[in-house]
Amino acid sequence: MSIFEYNGSAVVAMVGKNCFAIASDRRLGVQLQTIATDFKRISKIHDRLFIGLSGLATDVQTLYQRLVFRHKLYQLREERDMKPETFASLVSAILYEKRFGPYLCQPVIAGLGEDDKPFICTMDSIGAKELAKDFVVSGTASESLYGACEAMYKPDMEAEELFETISQALLSSVDRDCLSGWGGHVYVVTPNEIKERILKGRMD
Amino acid sequence: MKLDTSGFETSMPTIGFGSSNDMLDGFSTVPSFDLPRTTDFDGFQKEAVQMVKPAKGTTTLAFIFKEGVMVAADSRASMGGYISSQSVKKIIEINPYMLGTMAGGAADCQFWHRNLGIKCRLHELANKRRISVSGASKLLANMLYSYRGMGLSVGTMIAGWDETGPGLYYVDNEGGRLKGDRFSVGSGSPYAYGVLDSGYKFDMTVEEASELARRSIYHATFRDGASGGVASVYHVGPNGWKKLSGDDVGELHYHYYPVPPAIAEQVMEEAAAE
Repeated sequence: MSIFEYNGSAVVAMVGKNCFAIASDRRLGVQLQTIATDFKRISKIHDRLFIGLSGLATDVQTLYQRLVFRHKLYQLREERDMKPETFASLVSAILYEKRFGPYLCQPVIAGLGEDDKPFICTMDSIGAKELAKDFVVSGTASESLYGACEAMYKPDMEAEELFETISQALLSSVDRDCLSGWGGHVYVVTPNEIKERILKGRMD
Repeated sequence: MKLDTSGFETSMPTIGFGSSNDMLDGFSTVPSFDLPRTTDFDGFQKEAVQMVKPAKGTTTLAFIFKEGVMVAADSRASMGGYISSQSVKKIIEINPYMLGTMAGGAADCQFWHRNLGIKCRLHELANKRRISVSGASKLLANMLYSYRGMGLSVGTMIAGWDETGPGLYYVDNEGGRLKGDRFSVGSGSPYAYGVLDSGYKFDMTVEEASELARRSIYHATFRDGASGGVASVYHVGPNGWKKLSGDDVGELHYHYYPVPPAIAEQVMEEAAAE
């Protein structure tokens, strides 16, 4: 198994009508052994911007800490929050700095931009941005996730329906992957509120 | 009365001359396989071994207790990280009083257990009595030994009840054969052993033993990524085997641990504290 599959992960983000949802699994493993079932992969940068990181767990945590630091500096200098598009460029630049010794993670960025327009994008481990209008996926279960999202996604879903769709897509995909699952963590973000929910999944 | 010596025959597969002649019924001789006609026979073998290697992702266990033998297994088949099936039958019914478990290559285990069933039936017909568990496991071990190094992947337990009482043997593709009263095979076996060894007593009732077996498989599926699906439990008693339960492990978790997982506020507090 490759180094990206060492810890196991699954992250997905979807766009709805003036809202977005980002979800991840909760397993932390060392190859086939499960160590924890409450590992946090999605983190808040500010109230309208979330980042989910899949891949090697140590890099997930380190990269997140670096990004929070850079964003706080930005807030001090600019006296405002970063726009999602700007943040995506920041992440891409930070990843490319380590081109010849990369962070072994694939980020998924989801945020609400100007006029509450949702923005999602994903990147490979050296910063190649991939913008999408509907959904983005990453992690060991990514192939299953692509299939499930493609089948279940509809444009312009409201927050509740988006939550159902992303949860079903996540749970059915991780049930086909040995290395991810053991529950789910979903954030649904609208201009007014952030709703965080934990999913009961198969624990095998 | 002619003794059945088919078990003693050397069983080197014939090379290149094709299969045995049509007069023989094909069962009393050891099956011989055509070898591939390649230029790189060693490389081909090595690749064949590698292909099967990752596949001992499973959890099976068996133990002897006062009332017989308890056999249990999960039902997941995995290929590397991908789950190819959640409903594989890993407990193979060799005949009405003997069970075999499957770990390793599915094709290998299914074929060789069926072959063993045939040999056991022939023994019954030739000797007018059932074969012992010891004899059956020896037949299998000898067959596997002759294919040693050729890339078979079989880690099986033969459990049954014969005249001497309950019997349990572990047989693997290296040709090893061990007699014992507690075994667990597969990538999830360390976790299953932990639960099995701490809860085991010889004087258990059938209900207690089946609950112990089920719990052990459940804990292995929780910790091991390559085990999961359905936990099947069989009991082998003096009148043969009987399937006791087949519970979906996803539901078993919430049955054993109905407390809901960590609530959202707790998680967010931990996040803020970082």
